[in-house]
Amino acid sequence: MGFFDTILFPFKWLVSWIMVQFHDGLTFLGMDAASGVTWTLSIIGLVLVIRAALIPVFVKQIKAQRGMQALQPDMKKLQAKYKGKTDQLSRQAMGQEQMALYKEHGTNPFSACLPMLIQMPFFFSLFQVLSGVAKANADSDGIGAMTHDQVAQFDQATIFGAPLSAAFLPQLQGGDLNVAVVWLSIIMILAMIASQFITQKQIMSKNMSEEAMQGPFMKQQKMMLYVLPLVFGIGGVNFPIGVLIYWTTTNIWTMGQQFFVIRRMPTPGSPAYKEYQKRREAKGLPLLGASKKKVEEVVEEIPEPKGQRSQPQRKNRKKK
Amino acid sequence: MTPSPTEYRARRPMAAVVRFFWHLPRNILIIVLKLYRRVVSPTYGQVCRFFPSCSAYALEAVTVHGAVKGGWFAARRIVRCHPWNSGGLDPVPSPATVDWDDPSMVPMIVQLNHPHVFLAKQQETQSRNAA
Repeated sequence: MGFFDTILFPFKWLVSWIMVQFHDGLTFLGMDAASGVTWTLSIIGLVLVIRAALIPVFVKQIKAQRGMQALQPDMKKLQAKYKGKTDQLSRQAMGQEQMALYKEHGTNPFSACLPMLIQMPFFFSLFQVLSGVAKANADSDGIGAMTHDQVAQFDQATIFGAPLSAAFLPQLQGGDLNVAVVWLSIIMILAMIASQFITQKQIMSKNMSEEAMQGPFMKQQKMMLYVLPLVFGIGGVNFPIGVLIYWTTTNIWTMGQQFFVIRRMPTPGSPAYKEYQKRREAKGLPLLGASKKKVEEVVEEIPEPKGQRSQPQRKNRKKK
Repeated sequence: MTPSPTEYRARRPMAAVVRFFWHLPRNILIIVLKLYRRVVSPTYGQVCRFFPSCSAYALEAVTVHGAVKGGWFAARRIVRCHPWNSGGLDPVPSPATVDWDDPSMVPMIVQLNHPHVFLAKQQETQSRNAA
């Protein structure tokens, strides 16, 4: 067993165990144990468990973004200091000072790469489990928490006529292309690209503060719009149907989560946040955050001496 | 004793070959990190709670300290980067000797990770040219 396998072993076991639990549960409820639908739902169940477990990390990040309001005045000063300086060194200097500011206020809007990294071993191990099914079946082995019988069952399982363990490109190379595999792969690739696109668009048009929209972050977001469809396309033709089901489901979860966040916990200073405050006002609820009023006063103070009146402009833009 | 010109010429390709292989692991890592920063980093935007970000830290560490020591620094930084660490400034440890006098000789990543130092140098040269 290599280094990689050793690290992945516990994840592989956990992933297969969760799937088996869902599979047993669904079979108990009267579903056909050998059916591909049951196994597909087990994979979807696995996604739900992993993503639900990540919610606390996500909420922590959103709360940290709320905490950012307190340092708005300092942030405005910093932005004024670097206004119009677009060279790389100045941008970096600004980033460095921003980071020092977060530290000073004990808040940080960035969640670190952990939420993303933590999904990777699950994804890799699921990939190994699903792509190892055919071999384990031939060797009469089990995988992780899956017994040999379950492995054999999974290997035979089909959804809409496509085997869960089959993949587009390897089939094409093997010369025995299954039409259902091709169709399902293409549909899921398109679903992933579409959900990713909608998520990105939502973030960019509704949930970014005006400062963020002008910064390098926006550029990165735009690049993501083009890079990820490529990743999905390349992955989509290489990965087995089972992995694609996992991937598509997790993408759709992300999209739903983003809708929820934009509606209920928008980023302060973003268009979605203004709508959210309006909705609260209409309902007669107090505006969010006790410090909110104080922050607004300070924010208004700064532009006045410079004669920058951005508010009327903003309203015009919105009406279009 | 300084080698004579002929000796020097004869020895130089050998030295270049040795230097190439000595720096090979470091240079491979640099290429991998640069590719990662160009291709993968943009897909998720800024998430790191440190300055410099993990990949910038790793690139500087490997560039300055070499593959083994730099790789060790980078690995330790990645372990430090988690949601329960409040982040902030976390520069790469400086090597024993630092020669930043001539910015054109300093690798770009080092400049980007120490923007204040090099911004000051830039302004210095600009004002000198203006004078």
